[in-house]
Amino acid sequence: MTTSRTAARLSRILSMIPWLIANEGATVDEVCSRFGYTEGNLVRDINTVMVCGLPGYGPGDLMYAYIDGDEVGVEMADYFANAPRPTAAEALTMLASALTVAGSGLGNPALDSAIEKLSAALLPETESGIDIDTGAQPEFVGPLTKAASSHHTATIVHTGLADGVRKERVVEPWSVFSSLGNWYMTGWCRLAEGERVFRIDRINSVVVNDETFDPPETTPEPEVHYTPSEDDVHATIDLKPGARWVLDYYPVDVIEEYATKTRIRFAASEPGVAARLLLRLGSNATLVEGTEVREAVEELGRAILTRYGA
Amino acid sequence: MRNVIERLLNLLAFLLTVERPVDADEIRRTVAGYADKTDDAFHRMFERDKKQLKELGVPLELRYIDVWEIDQGYVVDPDQYGIADPELTDEERAALALAANVVRVGGQPAGPEALFKLGGLAWQGGGAPLGADLGGDIEGAVELFDAIRSRRRIRFTYHGSKRRLDPYTIARRRGHWYLLGRTDGEIKVFRVDRISGIVAGEEGAFERPTDFDPSIELDLHPWEGGPDPEQTATVRFDPEVAWWAARILKEPHEPGETLETTMRVGHRDAFVGFITSFGPDAEVVAPPELRDMVIDRVRGALGE
Repeated sequence: MTTSRTAARLSRILSMIPWLIANEGATVDEVCSRFGYTEGNLVRDINTVMVCGLPGYGPGDLMYAYIDGDEVGVEMADYFANAPRPTAAEALTMLASALTVAGSGLGNPALDSAIEKLSAALLPETESGIDIDTGAQPEFVGPLTKAASSHHTATIVHTGLADGVRKERVVEPWSVFSSLGNWYMTGWCRLAEGERVFRIDRINSVVVNDETFDPPETTPEPEVHYTPSEDDVHATIDLKPGARWVLDYYPVDVIEEYATKTRIRFAASEPGVAARLLLRLGSNATLVEGTEVREAVEELGRAILTRYGA
Repeated sequence: MRNVIERLLNLLAFLLTVERPVDADEIRRTVAGYADKTDDAFHRMFERDKKQLKELGVPLELRYIDVWEIDQGYVVDPDQYGIADPELTDEERAALALAANVVRVGGQPAGPEALFKLGGLAWQGGGAPLGADLGGDIEGAVELFDAIRSRRRIRFTYHGSKRRLDPYTIARRRGHWYLLGRTDGEIKVFRVDRISGIVAGEEGAFERPTDFDPSIELDLHPWEGGPDPEQTATVRFDPEVAWWAARILKEPHEPGETLETTMRVGHRDAFVGFITSFGPDAEVVAPPELRDMVIDRVRGALGE
């Protein structure tokens, strides 16, 4: 996460030098693939290193860096024998990424042992200084990820969040991702004939088929997004301070912020999604606009009161 | 840029080998790249260079040069600067590279610099069909993570009030970063994106208990931990939603059957919200006051 180009370039040089010191006779190819260099950029950086060193800056003071045929080397640079310690940002990102994947049930023994070594190197004396729980549902995350990487279609039974309707669908899984504590699969749904995002914990069963599919060249960014369409149901809702958490959990537009309320615009494919949210919020939210949603709130609300005999 | 890189390499080599604090004047006279500059140009250049080194993670510090504590000079402690090779195998580095590639931070994959520092990459694959986002609030998390690593006591503002804390753990749950630590003898939990104005104190200011377990505080359901006196509710879920409730509550359940179970309630508001979101397919059987709260909630939504 180094932000400037200069710092990024310097960081790579200071990481490469220790490795070259420890690995005599390294080849150009090896160094390029290990440190992500093109040959031209490696030559440029080696030429930079060879004119640097300690005060005096004579032949005995400068580092001895060379590319000789296929071989790369740096000598007389003992003060750079260790790579710079990762910054707090780099350490956190690295550990958090590794723990996220390990926690998803998709890690492997190599990742586990890497996490152990990293924790020892980056977190002296604070072994549980970081704790990641991605709320994994490994039961279907695993098979769907495998189907996505081998381009096999899957037959899933999924229950809609809004209407509670259970449907069998054949999908072409593109990717699996975790966001806001839930796991999702994105892909092409043959039943809907469109791109869809499914919450994996709303999936009741998964069968990976023998049939394969051609994945699109570029898949959409893995994020929970709601793509507005013309058939959408809209609602304008005022949230009291006690209901502001909605902004963190639903993709909504904030229209206006007042001292005592926040006015949002909510779009969904079904009025039921907004209605259930409004019921949940009770008097902490007021529906300002949205006829279909108002009808759905009435219907669901009356049904609940009937059940309670109220 | 070549001159900048050369000058920074020379500066760092000098600071790592000089073994005493050196002031800006000595650096200017000694390190190649600073000669022939006006005072102003040198100071601007030196400020930029210090910033670059810090961005890279170089522990550049000011210390007194003399026993009278009058003049200060710059020091880089070689032990603080370098990381011993963690001796990762090719498989381990490949696994880390894959993890770094699939996990996004505020929408961006992390750069490769951290892996370069740990011995380079060992994986050249393209995008993997797995992704996770660590969210946009990583900036605050980084500052707190640093305080945890170096055991610095912190002060900060939370929902408008001032807090002080011995930070123990940074944790990620349900899409958010949380900070856990001890204040006035109690373990407290804070959401990182609501923390502002962090001021960190001296390094090594407290001892962290070795048996601290953050999951005790974090892994309660929202309706379990809370401000209300603890009580038990009996709840019934109809067959169409029972599988979903069973999954959330981690209860055994046969497909097609009703789920009747008890729930621990310490936060009535969250409990009522959870039950109401099932619409007419779930019902609080007992106690009566929680039933009444559901009815009030629905009436509130109906504007009655």
